[in-house]
Amino acid sequence: MYGWIWRKLPGSLPLKVVQALVLVLAVVALLLFVVFPWIEPLLPFNQVTTTG
Amino acid sequence: MPPAAVPPAALAAAPPVPPAPSVPPASPATGPAKAVPRPAPRRRQEPAEAETDVLPKVAGPDTEPTDVLPRVVDEPEEPAAEPEALAEGAEDDGDEAGDAGETPTPTRADRIRTSIRTVGELMITAGLVVLLFVVYEVYVTDWLSAGKQHDATNALDERWRSGQDPLLEGGERGEHYNLAEGQGFAKIYIPKFGPDYAYTILEGTTDQILESGPGHYKGTALPGQPGNFAVAGHRVGKGAPFNDLDQLESCDALVVETSSAWYVYRVLPLGGEVENWTKNADSKGNQPRCDQVAPLRTKEQDGGPYARVPGQEIVTPDRGEVIAAVPNNPSASVPKAQQIPLITLTTCHPRFSAKQRLIVHGRLVKEWKKDQGKPGQLPPELKEG
Repeated sequence: MYGWIWRKLPGSLPLKVVQALVLVLAVVALLLFVVFPWIEPLLPFNQVTTTG
Repeated sequence: MPPAAVPPAALAAAPPVPPAPSVPPASPATGPAKAVPRPAPRRRQEPAEAETDVLPKVAGPDTEPTDVLPRVVDEPEEPAAEPEALAEGAEDDGDEAGDAGETPTPTRADRIRTSIRTVGELMITAGLVVLLFVVYEVYVTDWLSAGKQHDATNALDERWRSGQDPLLEGGERGEHYNLAEGQGFAKIYIPKFGPDYAYTILEGTTDQILESGPGHYKGTALPGQPGNFAVAGHRVGKGAPFNDLDQLESCDALVVETSSAWYVYRVLPLGGEVENWTKNADSKGNQPRCDQVAPLRTKEQDGGPYARVPGQEIVTPDRGEVIAAVPNNPSASVPKAQQIPLITLTTCHPRFSAKQRLIVHGRLVKEWKKDQGKPGQLPPELKEG
């Protein structure tokens, strides 16, 4: 999978490295700012109130 | 091109054929071919072609004969036989794949290898994502919440400066207040957690509000009022205002600031301390700062309405009665004016779990009216370590 992506990246080696970094950062940002905030309330880690 | 890629495959066969150098020059095609069947099994088919293209391989690493043979004999057949041979050789030693692995048609083994590799990569990726989630939960939400808490504090300071305080606008402080949900209205200081421990308390306890800071349970008492001033806060991430709530001991100060006053609450005696609270001279209850702190249990048979209010308790999440005006005794009929002014802090327990709730109860021991002529005056309790 990652090998396939690497081969699909165009350009010379430094160019490929830059593109790969950008891709990784984009995925991390997507996870941190979209996926995790959405999924977090559904997980039982951090409920602090009592209901009664 | 063929000679370059061939040697690796040939190497496997090399040991048994050390005498090779002497052989090739002697007999061009037929003789050595018989010695060759060893490498041939590796590419199970086409023995006919094998005998031609294997020869150069054996000779490859050695000096002179190599270039002679392939040129003469194999020119026409090489290209046809090569891709397959290369594909297999290339898989075995990955480095070679770079120059040769682009073109070959994938075999069944290739496909299996590829899918196993992909599954492996996906699993490693999933592990990294889970790790990233932990980092998010413990650190990133802290940064995000710090900004929100900062904004809430600035907004509160601004309102206090301009004299707008919903707590005061309600006339008689209490009954008819109208706090906007999500709006800050007080600050909490816990000197034990350091001089810089200060959080703006917001009205409401939804997830969104709690991201900005500790939240006041709607409908419970306000700071300083008789009844129970109940506040929830995160223990992990999101600023984690109540991270160390479990370290609070009896008589530790919980200071709440509003626009008009400072209210000093102190943690009630913990469950195990009630019995001997003031028994000996060095008992906890006789320390100066425990001056006005005592078990709420009365001498009545059943201990009175406040019999079950320890300084700290751990309960299941459904125990809503811990934030009742008379904690753990919601049916008690104590007139509002006679209710003890209490504070209750709730957070999750144990850390990283929603299994239980950690509850801390304290009672009001002192109220310092703010002197409008001397802004910036701080109550002495804030300096307690």
